[in-house]
Amino acid sequence: MKVHTRIRRWGGALLLLGATVAAAGCGGGGDSGGASSGPLKVDKTPVTITLRHPWTGDEKKIFEQTLQGFHDKYPWITVKTIGYPDSDTFDQQIVIKTINAGDPPDAFLSFGPDYVGQYCSSGLWQDLSTYMKRDNISIDDFAQAALTYTNFDGKQCALPSLTDSFGLYYNKDLFAKAGITAPPKTMTELMDDAKKLTQRNPDGSIKVAGFVPLQDWGQQGISDLARMWGAQWFDDSGKPAFASDPNWAAAMQWQKELVDWYGYDNIAKFFQSYNGNEFSASNALETGKVAMMFDGEWRTAFIKREHPELNYDTAFMPAADSDPNLYGAARVGGTIVGIPKGSPHPDQAWLLVKYLSHDPAYLVPMANAVGNVPTTAESAGSPDLALPPQFHTFIDVWNNADSSFSPPLTPSGAGYAKLLSDFDNKWVAGKVSDLQSGLTTLDSDVENQLQLGEAP
Amino acid sequence: MRKYAFVALLLSPWIIGFLAFQLIPMALSFYYSFTHYDIISSPKWIGLSNYKFMFGIGGAQDPYYMTGVKNTLWIIAFGVPLRIATGMATAMLLTRPRRGTNVYRTLFFMPSVAPRVGAALVFVYLLNPIGPFNQLLDAVPGISPPLWFGDPQWAKPALLFVGIWGVGDAIVLYMAGLLNIPKQLYEAIAIEGANAWQRFRHVTLPMLTPVIFFSLIIGVIDGFQYFDQAYIASGPASGNHDLGDPQNSLLFYGIWLYEQAFRYFHMGYAAAMAWVMFVAIMICTAVLLLTSKRWVHYGGGGLS
Repeated sequence: MKVHTRIRRWGGALLLLGATVAAAGCGGGGDSGGASSGPLKVDKTPVTITLRHPWTGDEKKIFEQTLQGFHDKYPWITVKTIGYPDSDTFDQQIVIKTINAGDPPDAFLSFGPDYVGQYCSSGLWQDLSTYMKRDNISIDDFAQAALTYTNFDGKQCALPSLTDSFGLYYNKDLFAKAGITAPPKTMTELMDDAKKLTQRNPDGSIKVAGFVPLQDWGQQGISDLARMWGAQWFDDSGKPAFASDPNWAAAMQWQKELVDWYGYDNIAKFFQSYNGNEFSASNALETGKVAMMFDGEWRTAFIKREHPELNYDTAFMPAADSDPNLYGAARVGGTIVGIPKGSPHPDQAWLLVKYLSHDPAYLVPMANAVGNVPTTAESAGSPDLALPPQFHTFIDVWNNADSSFSPPLTPSGAGYAKLLSDFDNKWVAGKVSDLQSGLTTLDSDVENQLQLGEAP
Repeated sequence: MRKYAFVALLLSPWIIGFLAFQLIPMALSFYYSFTHYDIISSPKWIGLSNYKFMFGIGGAQDPYYMTGVKNTLWIIAFGVPLRIATGMATAMLLTRPRRGTNVYRTLFFMPSVAPRVGAALVFVYLLNPIGPFNQLLDAVPGISPPLWFGDPQWAKPALLFVGIWGVGDAIVLYMAGLLNIPKQLYEAIAIEGANAWQRFRHVTLPMLTPVIFFSLIIGVIDGFQYFDQAYIASGPASGNHDLGDPQNSLLFYGIWLYEQAFRYFHMGYAAAMAWVMFVAIMICTAVLLLTSKRWVHYGGGGLS
């Protein structure tokens, strides 16, 4: 849900306080080789188009510098940028209100892929397929996973413009101390390693946790664990599948086993003590309080700035023993760009959308500056990409065909995911006596929530 | 006739404002509460469905509705009396003649000038699990400091601090009330040999009941609409992921209403929730007004 957007706003802004401002120097991006990929019959009447974008602070400066490359490429188009009042909560409100009022900008950049289902199904954002076909841009230029949050009901109403992706961070010093030589690849190994890596205080409380399996620990949700079993949110008929897909129960059993091994009170106390420091230099992974952690690509930049001494590496999230083919997949999802219904200059806006989603002249310096994953194969392979070696895990996750955005898009947003989170919190706390019947109730709660959003 | 036209002209800014910003929006929200409305498409009439879903009548119930109700009742039950007690106690201290009274009065009033959001942010910082307040508590042997906004058991109590800290507005009212109590009453009861407690119980308290009554009503209404502080404390500033965190302990009625309206765009349902809240506030206020005859004492008639 808004996890993604929150990262951008907090993570990104914090990150920029650090060393990456230096990257602004290469933000001009004027080396794109001209407008060779532009359409042939172009109206070159000078025009000013507007773009709503959510970047703030130092990131905004870099964004606007990098955007200058667009004007260099299409000198007859001047881009005027407008911000959002609060990119965390108001993106979709601004989108809806400006479109409804008949006064939308020419293009939107937004941190919130949660609402793409709504934008596509209601026609709030235009289908870009015609433009893409004309300019020979295929969704394959990005990654399969891009479809899961830019396309809904067959309408390609948005394109990705940098993304987040997730993997397993691990502390190599703690690994060496515990005699573990390689990161876990299966859930059984993850559980074993977690136990080996855990250190306790004399009173039984946790001093160092091997792996914290709880919902909302950092960026992790139960769905991030369950996907490694292949769990599906909805069945083929579109009904919630928490009870009918046995992988949910399998993941929750795994999770509960590890929680019970720690003792729920111990792990809950540990969670409460450290979870609030996720975006500070006291972060549990960065300070050696946890040995392994599920986290996003931006953490590499955080570590570089806050704890360059940390001896760490990244790996794919381990897969269930029964599904080794899922090793390498994880959740992805990030900034989207699109053209609203009623855009005054849709053709010029498309050139901008193309630049922001597809042009290495934008994607590479911006990825370097904000530490997000570049979203096209071309930009990910660019020699100008200056990201730490640990970062490559995340580019690979983005390109894995089984990676996807979650929770899955619906026409009424992602609010239903809260029901799953809350259920899982109760489950690990031992407040669910019968898992299967609990999951059945969860199914109907999600169904009801979604119905509330559906027009009668 | 021209006189009326002139009056109407003078009144028109208010009338237009009232119609545009109060009456029409209220009427519309009442209508929306019987519709499915997602802002994008026009509202569709669905009768009482929103209200039924809220209370689980004849079908499914919103699983978070009662959570919101319970949390809201909690904050009213504890927050309102606490604010009354601290406001009154502080006012009594501040009305004692001593040097520098005005300085103290200013100091105690100042926090209530701060915006609630700012105040909440300050407390989120102070009550961070490893923040300044817990560092102080750590120094006390035998105390293991709570995690405040990180712990579902302590999150609501932590919010009470914000309320008490900003009690300055109530202090001013109580001070005015205290200074209005005729000296003769204290003299009279002193002659009868009353001690400090009896003076408080039989003079101060009865004479303050109108102020207490006022803060009670305002406090209950504010409590129903409790939002700003919870919005901050359950948000990213305190490391929580979702409005209402930790574990829905801060999911107040207003927070859930906001989520339904502006996160999920269930405007019809949110409007229905708002109307139920409105009716609940009306009922509570009416009940308080009815009981007030028994315990609120308005001066002028002397002590009975």
